[in-house]
Amino acid sequence: MVIPPLRRKALRDLRRLWGQALAIALVLAAGVATMILGNGAHRSLSDTRERYYADYRFADIFSDVVRAPLALVEDIEAIDGVLQVEPRIVKLGRPEIDGMAEPASVLLVSLPKSDGLNLLYLREGRLAHPDAANEVVVSQDFASAHGLRQGSRLTVVMNGKRRELTVTGIALSPEFIYALGPGEMMPDPHRFGVVWMPRPALEQAFDLKGAFSNLALRLARGVPESRVIATLDRLTAPYGGGGGTGRAEQTSHAFLDAELKQLAAMVKVLPPIFLLVAAMLVHMTLSRLIALEREQIGLLKALGYTPAKIAQHYLEFLLLIVLGGVLVGFVAGAGLGAGLARLYARFFSFPFLDFGTDLRVYGLAAVVTAVAAVAGALQSLRAVLSLPPAVAMAPPAPADYRGGNGWVLRAVRLRQTGRMVLRHLLHWPFRTASSVLGMAMAVAILVASLWSFGSIDHMIRVTFQMAERQDVKMVFGTPETPVALADIRHMPGVMAAEPFRLVPAELTHGTRSKRLVIQGRPDNARISRVLSPDLQPMPMPEAGLILSAALADALLLRPGDRVTVEFLEGRRSVIELSVSGISLGYVGLGAAMDITALGRATGDGPLISGADILLDEAEAQAFFKAAAATPKTAFLNVTDLTVSRFRATLAENIILMISVYVTLAAIIALGVVYNFSRIALSEQGRELASLRVLGFTRAEVASVILLELAVVVVLAQPFGWLIGHGIGRAMVAAFSSDLYRVPFVMGRQVYASASLIVIAAAGLSAFAIRGRIDQLDLIAVLKTRE
Amino acid sequence: MTSGATVIETRGLTKTYRNGPTEVHALRNVDFRAQRGEFIVVLGPSGSGKSTFLNILGGIDHATSGSVLFDGQDITAFGDAALTRYRRDHVGFVFQFYNLVPSLTALENVALVTEIAAHPMPPEEALDIVGLSARRGHFPAQLSGGEQQRVAIARAIAKRPELLFCDEPTGALDSATGVLVLEALAEANRSTGATTLIITHNATIQQIADRTLRFADGRIVDEVANPIRKRPNQMSW
Repeated sequence: MVIPPLRRKALRDLRRLWGQALAIALVLAAGVATMILGNGAHRSLSDTRERYYADYRFADIFSDVVRAPLALVEDIEAIDGVLQVEPRIVKLGRPEIDGMAEPASVLLVSLPKSDGLNLLYLREGRLAHPDAANEVVVSQDFASAHGLRQGSRLTVVMNGKRRELTVTGIALSPEFIYALGPGEMMPDPHRFGVVWMPRPALEQAFDLKGAFSNLALRLARGVPESRVIATLDRLTAPYGGGGGTGRAEQTSHAFLDAELKQLAAMVKVLPPIFLLVAAMLVHMTLSRLIALEREQIGLLKALGYTPAKIAQHYLEFLLLIVLGGVLVGFVAGAGLGAGLARLYARFFSFPFLDFGTDLRVYGLAAVVTAVAAVAGALQSLRAVLSLPPAVAMAPPAPADYRGGNGWVLRAVRLRQTGRMVLRHLLHWPFRTASSVLGMAMAVAILVASLWSFGSIDHMIRVTFQMAERQDVKMVFGTPETPVALADIRHMPGVMAAEPFRLVPAELTHGTRSKRLVIQGRPDNARISRVLSPDLQPMPMPEAGLILSAALADALLLRPGDRVTVEFLEGRRSVIELSVSGISLGYVGLGAAMDITALGRATGDGPLISGADILLDEAEAQAFFKAAAATPKTAFLNVTDLTVSRFRATLAENIILMISVYVTLAAIIALGVVYNFSRIALSEQGRELASLRVLGFTRAEVASVILLELAVVVVLAQPFGWLIGHGIGRAMVAAFSSDLYRVPFVMGRQVYASASLIVIAAAGLSAFAIRGRIDQLDLIAVLKTRE
Repeated sequence: MTSGATVIETRGLTKTYRNGPTEVHALRNVDFRAQRGEFIVVLGPSGSGKSTFLNILGGIDHATSGSVLFDGQDITAFGDAALTRYRRDHVGFVFQFYNLVPSLTALENVALVTEIAAHPMPPEEALDIVGLSARRGHFPAQLSGGEQQRVAIARAIAKRPELLFCDEPTGALDSATGVLVLEALAEANRSTGATTLIITHNATIQQIADRTLRFADGRIVDEVANPIRKRPNQMSW
């Protein structure tokens, strides 16, 4: 096969300019990889979820009741649009596991009927026999955390009674893809799991014969959820219905949604940055290549090559680079995707999670990348087309440095080499600006990723050291009288205890409404406090409500406004309350009021739902033992365990995230610096060799290029900080949901670390260039005309 | 205009290099000596070794054997740093293609050197010697070829070098401009006392020299002293 001469030239050019080509290819590869990673993960996660939901019949609406007769199911099935209703028993139990001191809980759920909703995916063993009193199926993560297998024994305290159970199977459920324990911030399979039991056994354990405590509903396609919920709530209200919730408020679904939202945001931010930088690099490099090859282009034209044919040659050269970048991007994207899938597998329990087999994602990434690169080349290619052969074959006129930048030099006193640097930078404003922008993007990527760690730290500090300062939060199964608080205070190790009351309610303002739990707190609580946005403790008002900023925003409420509160428990009274203040809150929607006022408002009197406790560390084990023995206790949240789980989970992610982002930013920094300096060197090689002849040392000569680089790198920093700050802010806005609000804490160390990393990468690149400067051939350069 | 003292001297200077499979003898055993202030023209066909000779004398190329003594020191034994120092303090270069820095004005191109030299003259003075004071603020792109070459001469002499090496300084210029450039060189030689070596293909130029060397095949094959130097504008081209 004969390779046409121009194609051979393209291949040789590639070999000659391999460094610059590689730098561009890597930036393109980073764009492709992040595109594949983001789109692929998003698609695989949402596709997997959709298939899982459909195949295992994930319910559309969930509703808790205290106790409702099974006869009610018929009425609910009759609601227009309801396809299927599954009455269930869902209760908390306490597992007793040998050697495990810290409190744990399991969610006991009645096994779905074979044609029911939220079907189980059996990983191992079999479902429990419907008539067996002691057979259970256990959620996979909990089982592996405790080494439970088919046939293992498990002791669970249900409704105050200890029961010996036998594990018949290990399973997953679409309802618990993200299995969060009550009151926890992160899944901890060690301390929380799901146990499915045949209905009769649970009926007996919780005294719910012929009744249910939870409903799961499936709706026909296109049926408005809110209408069904309204009717459902009306029907369940007499039975202590806490109000129906759609999938959007179902914990597992909501967390998956938040993850998908983050991925979507990443796809919007990262790949465009890389493609933009790559396009700029292509533009810089190709313009220089074409400038250097003017004479050859003229010659080719004189020989009869059409301009289109010559442009095609440069395009082929570019597409070879794109091809390299796309291939590397495919491999890196698939590798990172597999890593992300493994990470997901840790947090999300899917029976299957396919990653990245979707060829459309790859195809799209390749096409978008090629388009970006070609867009960067357009101007240079136009120059090829328009160059008349005679002009092209004459050497270009010397660069003309006349121009209006004398004021800069009058403003700063510089040595002549400094003037060279400054004039060179100002002479190529587009190139300088795009290099600055490119470097700024590298800084921005880091600023926009590193800030979140500081924010999370801030969140932990504010939440657990300033607001929720209890060692343990004890939550009762049902509200108790204040006597219960006195009992707690007498438990071993309890140094102080403050009561709280939790009442589910729907808050309505105008056409907006939100369901949440209102917390009643003692006035001037000292252990668990509500904080104002400026981190000051807020005393509870006598009558009004304090809303978290997220809730106030969601309902468009300001202090002084009135809000309608419908309690979804007990007498279900409806009252109007005024908003007394806005509080800080990072997790969930929150509303707080004085505990006595809350008791009055619900009409229930001075009931309490649990207590915040300060514990003597030395007696913690004794306390946990005593708490476990108290039938009132539904669950305990131990602050230390919550925080350490939170930190441990983050630590795992942080290392992965930091290494990915640092790599990405370094690729940009290396690529921009390397290309910029290679081009500067190619343009000024002659001048630099002259300087060497004139008696400048190697270091002095290198400093001309390095100074130029340094100016670009330094100029880029503030822009990078600014852009990164902007991206960070946009991310906060994008990630904010009813589940959590991330505080925007941008410390100086974020800017400093981002800059240091980028400067280090630039330094590395500069080091490579320094070698080339040292090798300048003095004689060859001086003997030839440019 | 010789003052008698030897400034630079070569003994058995030899340079060979490989060009593919063949070994090229660029210089063969060249012995040479120049006096302070001497104005020497070097003639010879392309490839005769004259540029290699000048480059080794100027410290931008290395000899294969032999020695180059400047002020009694053998510069062939110098490392990179010492050679840089040597060029910086003692040698001025002028090339065929000027090699000015396009982003610096005429005055700044000269100042480039005066900023690093040990005992420079003010850059304005150097420009004055080559008759370009009026063009000091112009960039190379705004100057004619002859003017650019004169800036290059001003840049070469501003450090008050002992040695001024010029490789084809008029090669790219027409004769009228060439004369202007040679006048600048002669004036530079006169006012700074720098020993000046000019490589040229143009035999006419020997009329303005104290001495003419002729290179062929890597050797000095002829050496002619010129007792009556003409001024460049008196030369007959």
